[in-house]
Amino acid sequence: MFPTQSGCPKCTGSSTETVELGRRGTLWTWTVQGFPPKAPPFIGATDPAHFQPFGVGYVELPGEVKVEARLTVADPDQLSIGMEMELVVIPLTTDADGNEVMTFAFRPVGEAASQETSDQESKGSANA
Amino acid sequence: MRDDVAIVGIGMHEFGRHDDLSGMDQGVIAVRRALADAGLKWEDMQFAFGGSAAAGAPDTMVSQLGLTGLQFINVANGCATGGSALFSAYNTIKAEVFDLGIAIGFDKHERGAFRVNTRGAGLGDWYGASGMALTTQFFGMKINRYMHEYGITQNTLAKVSAKAFRNGAQNPMAWRRKPLSEEEVLESAMLSYPLTQYMFCSPGEGGVALILARADKAHNYTDRPIFLNATVVRSRRFGSFEVLAPSIALEHNAGPTVDASKAAFEMAGIGPDDIDLAQLQDTESGAEVMHMAENGFCEHGEQEQMIQNGETEIGGRFPVNTDGGCLANGEPIGASGLRQVFENVLQLRGDAGIRQVPNEPKTAYTHVYGAPGISGVTILSR
Repeated sequence: MFPTQSGCPKCTGSSTETVELGRRGTLWTWTVQGFPPKAPPFIGATDPAHFQPFGVGYVELPGEVKVEARLTVADPDQLSIGMEMELVVIPLTTDADGNEVMTFAFRPVGEAASQETSDQESKGSANA
Repeated sequence: MRDDVAIVGIGMHEFGRHDDLSGMDQGVIAVRRALADAGLKWEDMQFAFGGSAAAGAPDTMVSQLGLTGLQFINVANGCATGGSALFSAYNTIKAEVFDLGIAIGFDKHERGAFRVNTRGAGLGDWYGASGMALTTQFFGMKINRYMHEYGITQNTLAKVSAKAFRNGAQNPMAWRRKPLSEEEVLESAMLSYPLTQYMFCSPGEGGVALILARADKAHNYTDRPIFLNATVVRSRRFGSFEVLAPSIALEHNAGPTVDASKAAFEMAGIGPDDIDLAQLQDTESGAEVMHMAENGFCEHGEQEQMIQNGETEIGGRFPVNTDGGCLANGEPIGASGLRQVFENVLQLRGDAGIRQVPNEPKTAYTHVYGAPGISGVTILSR
């Protein structure tokens, strides 16, 4: 499961532990968010002058789980099911105090790295 | 075939946008139309189940309809709210608690895509904050994967939309009554690849009410009772791919629609080949395509030829969404599933006017799907 939760949706048990998930996988499916999401809950830019379409997909982490995430690519011609993806952390917006708010995302492996890859790991849970 | 609960009255308030009416007002109008259809009065109703996701507590309708003291229970079950009201009414009569009652659904949503309350859906705030938690994304991702696996083309998705708006143009209760060409559908704004604006339905407004009675007393109210042979609601199982899911298991489960469909056919004692027409959840045009197979009406991938050949048109071998579906009617959550049943009752009575399915259909099927991974199915016969 991602993110962590206290109960197991498969066996109905209530004993889970947190494990670190891998950082690479394959794109299982994807779309492109073409219009500004409603705010709230969205905290990114929603005015048409600043909104930029963004990719969303499920990345299959081998032997683990398919994780839903934003994608760094929003061009349908550059996305295809089965392509290799890797975890990155990207800026999402700037909060009221001027701090940059980050979120996790996946980018195609080999994409010219315009973002710095963070050392942070995504967190998931598995059965105890 | 079990035929012990009958639908003896139907009423609907036009779907669409109605600035002067609350959602509940539209529900009240639907109730009054259903009562008139059955030749009954509100005081004849022994019980009611009412559902609305965003337009108030249904049981407060009694202050407009009459304070008769009846048992009125509110149901709320996401996109299966209407189906759950009908399930509850059906089983109340089956259990011989009451003989005659009503299932009501209405709603009124703000414009634009559904705003998801992530915390209310058991999800973290981060999920919506980061730009996920949109139902439209799920539908784009599900059909994208499905097209990849089964060879469905984008032209077929456009054909589904064009059919919906063509059928809606023949339905005085529908919201979108202007036919659109496949080209217009394909050229509209790309909302969530590969789905364009006119491939998606919109949240909307409307109300539907259905009066149910014991089958052996149905002829007291109507000379054309329609029998409710199955009503089923199922939730998701581990491994299925559902709306609003931050992750999916690697192992595969076919999902709640497959489970609900199988249970409904078992309950009715018939199979998909026995069904003459169907109303299938078409939140977007790809959903109609996928739900044809998930409900057992064809194999995965066969839809491409079926739709290209016009088999799901009103005059085709297996008509689907004869009233224009969600695409032409919009989706007022509480009323949407009951709208499908309303249409099937009209078709089985032979009262569907210029969109009547030919050759006197005898059986009809409805299917709703929605958040958070729930499906409702009914089977009707005359």
